[in-house]
Amino acid sequence: MATPGVSRVSPRRGGSVTIGVNSEINGFLPSTSHFDNSGYIYANTVFDTLTKVAADGTAKPYLAKSVTPNADKTVWTIALRPGVTFHDGSPLTADVVVANFRAVQQSPLTAQAVKPVTNVSATGPLEVTVTTNEPLVPFPHYLATQIGFVVALAQLERNDTQHPIGTGPFSIVSWEPNDHFTVERNPNYWRNGLPYLDGITYKPIASDQSREASLRSKTVDLMVTRDPNVIRGLRHDTAFQQVTDLTRTVGQTDMDFIMLNTAVDPTNDIVVRQALAHATNADELVRLFGAGIASPNLSMFPPGSPYRPADNGYPRYDLAKARQLVAQAAPNHGGTIKVALGTITDPRLLTQIQAVANMWEQAGVQVTVNETEQVTYIDNLITGAFQADTVEMFGVSDPDLNYVWLSSTTASGPGTIALNFARNKDDVLEAALQQGRTQSDPAARAAAYQTVDKRLAQDLPYLWTSRATWSLTGSNVVMNFDNLTLPDGSPAQGFLSGTFTPTPIWRRA
Amino acid sequence: MARYVVTRLVQLFVISFIISVVTFLLVHLLPGDPTVVILGPNDTPTARHELLQQLGLNKSLPAQYWTWISNVLRGNLGQSFLTRQTVTNALSVAVPIDIELIIVSQIIALAVAIPLALVAALRPNRIFDRSATTSSFAMLSLPTFVAGPILVLIFAVHAQAVPATGFVRLSGGLGQNLKSVILPSVVLAIGSIAVYYRLLRADLIATLQEDFVTMARAKGMSTPYILVRHVLRPSSFSLLASAGLAIGSLFTGAFVVEALFQLPGVGYQLVQAIYSNDYLMVQGMALVAAIAFVVVNFGADLTLTFLDPRVRRA
Repeated sequence: MATPGVSRVSPRRGGSVTIGVNSEINGFLPSTSHFDNSGYIYANTVFDTLTKVAADGTAKPYLAKSVTPNADKTVWTIALRPGVTFHDGSPLTADVVVANFRAVQQSPLTAQAVKPVTNVSATGPLEVTVTTNEPLVPFPHYLATQIGFVVALAQLERNDTQHPIGTGPFSIVSWEPNDHFTVERNPNYWRNGLPYLDGITYKPIASDQSREASLRSKTVDLMVTRDPNVIRGLRHDTAFQQVTDLTRTVGQTDMDFIMLNTAVDPTNDIVVRQALAHATNADELVRLFGAGIASPNLSMFPPGSPYRPADNGYPRYDLAKARQLVAQAAPNHGGTIKVALGTITDPRLLTQIQAVANMWEQAGVQVTVNETEQVTYIDNLITGAFQADTVEMFGVSDPDLNYVWLSSTTASGPGTIALNFARNKDDVLEAALQQGRTQSDPAARAAAYQTVDKRLAQDLPYLWTSRATWSLTGSNVVMNFDNLTLPDGSPAQGFLSGTFTPTPIWRRA
Repeated sequence: MARYVVTRLVQLFVISFIISVVTFLLVHLLPGDPTVVILGPNDTPTARHELLQQLGLNKSLPAQYWTWISNVLRGNLGQSFLTRQTVTNALSVAVPIDIELIIVSQIIALAVAIPLALVAALRPNRIFDRSATTSSFAMLSLPTFVAGPILVLIFAVHAQAVPATGFVRLSGGLGQNLKSVILPSVVLAIGSIAVYYRLLRADLIATLQEDFVTMARAKGMSTPYILVRHVLRPSSFSLLASAGLAIGSLFTGAFVVEALFQLPGVGYQLVQAIYSNDYLMVQGMALVAAIAFVVVNFGADLTLTFLDPRVRRA
C-alpha cells in the first residue's frame, strides 16, 4: 500500500498547487515576525534554515555545510555552503549570517532563545563561529527554528517584513494578507533539481470547515487542519491522501492541556491542583471531542519518546479523591474553591472547557468559564492574570527548546511579565533542565527529561489531556508532500505540528 | 434643490467629523495592548515601553487623534502595526471586493424581488402571493451562516460548479471572477430579496387603491400595464430607501459571508484587525466604512428627492 504523501515514481516538473492554511502571518522577518505553524510553512517556502531536523530526530546541516562544536559544546563553527545565492542575486556569506544572528539577538521577540550566545563572528568568508556561556548541546536544533532562517542583507537592512528575500526553493510573487501568498520557483535554487513545482499559492482560511469544503471542491489542493472531526471526515476518503503527526515521536509534539497559575489563589495551592487533576477525566474528554483521532496523554512527552518515563506518577482520574482534596483545601480558601477556566473565542474549545468545568464542579469546585479574544488571552498568560487556561504548546524538535517556558529563571509573580506562564518554580526541575541542556550523552539527557516529566506531574502546573493532532491532506494530484530529503540524501522529519516544507511537492498531470 | 443638497453636504461633513472622533475613541477603548501582539510572549517591560514610544501610543489621546486625523486628511491612513501593510493598500484590496459583492447581490435581489412583488400585487392573497410571502418569511429567518454552508455543499462540494472559498479579481478573467462571487452574492441577496419583496408588494397594493389607478382602469388600461407603467415608480420609494440603507450596511455587515467564503473584504479585515488590536487598521477601515455608509445613504436620499418631490418639501 502506498504511503500517503510519499511518491516513489519519477516526479513531473511544472504546474502549481494551492494550499489552504489555518492562519495568516504578520510578516516574513524571522527576528520580528511571529511564526506559528503557517509562519513556518511560509518561511520554509522562501527561506532555508541553517540546519533541518532529520527523520531520526537529529539536526543535520541544511543551508550550512557543517555545524561543528568544540569539545565542551561552548563554541560552534558553522561552515556555509559555497555558491548559494539569495533571490536578489546576492551571495550567502558569513557576514550575512552574522548580521542575521545579531538581528535575532537584538530583537525582543527572539533574544531569549539565544540568551546563552555571547559572541557571533565571521571567522572566514563562509565560516561563522558562535560562542556560548554554557555548553549548549542542542544548538543545531536552534538553527532549525525561527532563529536559523537566513534572509538577505537587503531585507534585513530595510527591516522589511513584507518582501522576503531568501535562498529558499521559491521566491515571492505577491502577498496580500488574509487573501493569498503566491510564490514562483527559484530557478537558481542551491539544491539541484528542486523544486519541481512552478509555483504555489497559499490561501489562509481560518475555518476548518471552509478549508475542508475548499479541498473537496478543488479550490485548494492541499490543506492543514487540527480539527479531529475534519481529519476523520477526510481520512477514509479515497479521493485524498492524508498524513497526521499522531504517530510521530521524534522531538516534542504539541500537547493539549490546562495550564494552572501556581502564583495566584487558589491554584497556588498544590492540594487544589491535585484535586483538579484527579477531577479531570482525560479519557472522557478525548472520547467526547477527539473524534476517534486523538488519544489521552498524561505526560509532557508522547508515547515512544525516550524522554517519557514508564510511569511519571501523574494523578489519574479519581472523582472521590478529588472531592476529598477539595474538602481538605476549601477551608484555606474561604470555604469554597472558585476557579476561572478560560479559553480563546473558539466554539470547539469553548465546548471542551464547558465539559471540563462540569467535571470540576462534580468534585465540588465552583467554576466560571471565560472566553477571551486571543490578544487579551495571550496578555493574561504573560502577565499571570489567569487561574486556569486551555493551552496548546510545546511542539519542538528538542526538549531544550522549551527551556524558557519551564525554567524557574523565567517565572515571576502575577502582574509581571513571565515566559514561564504557569510561574512554577522547582529547583529539582531546573536542575534537570540544565542537565538536559548541557549533557551530551543521550541516556543522560533522556534521564534528565524523564525527571522533568515526573516533577511536572508532582508540581501540576499543567493538567495534561491529549496530544494535539495535526493533519496534512491533499487531493490525489498532489504528490510527495511528506517526503523531504536532506542534502545528504537522508529523510527529513515529516509533517509535524502543522508544519511542512513544500520543496519536494510535485503535481500529477 | 440646490439648498437641500448644500445642507445635506454640510451635514455629511459634520457627521464624518463625529464619526472620526467616535471611531478613534472606540478603538482606544478596546481591551488588550497592541504591543502584546507585536512583541508576542517574549516581550519585556523595556521593550513594551520603547514600542509604545515608537508607535506614539504613549502620547495623550487628543495628541494621538490630531496626529492621526492630520495624516488622514493628507491621504495617509497609516499602516498596520502587525504586517506593515498600509491601510490604503489593504483598502485597495478590500473595497473592490465589497463593491462587487454589493452590486452583484443587489442585482440578484432586485431582479428576483421586483417581478415577484409585481405578480403578487396583481392578485393579492391568492396562492402565488401567499406562497411568495411565506417564502420571504423563510428567507428572512434563514441566517447567512446556515444558508452559506448549505449552498457551498450543493454548488461547490457536490456540483463543483463554483469555488468554495476565495476571490478571483477581474484581472483573472470575468468568468472566474463571477464564479468566485456568485455564491456569496446569493447568500447576501437572500435577506434582501425578502425585505424588498415585502416592501414593494405592500406599496404596490396600496398604490393600486389610488384614484388615478381607478381612472386608468376606467380608460380601459389592463392592470399589468397600469402596474408597470404607472404604479411601479410611485411605489418604489420605500424600496429605494431600503436599498440605500442595505448597500451602506453591507459594506461592513457582510463580514460573516466574507469569513465564510474567505473574501478579504472590509468587514472581514476589520474584524481581523479588531481581534489583533491593530489600531490604525481598525481606525482607517472603520472610518472609511462609516463614511461610505453615510455617502451611500446621502446618494440614496438625493435619488429619492429627485424622484419624489414630497421628500424635498418635507
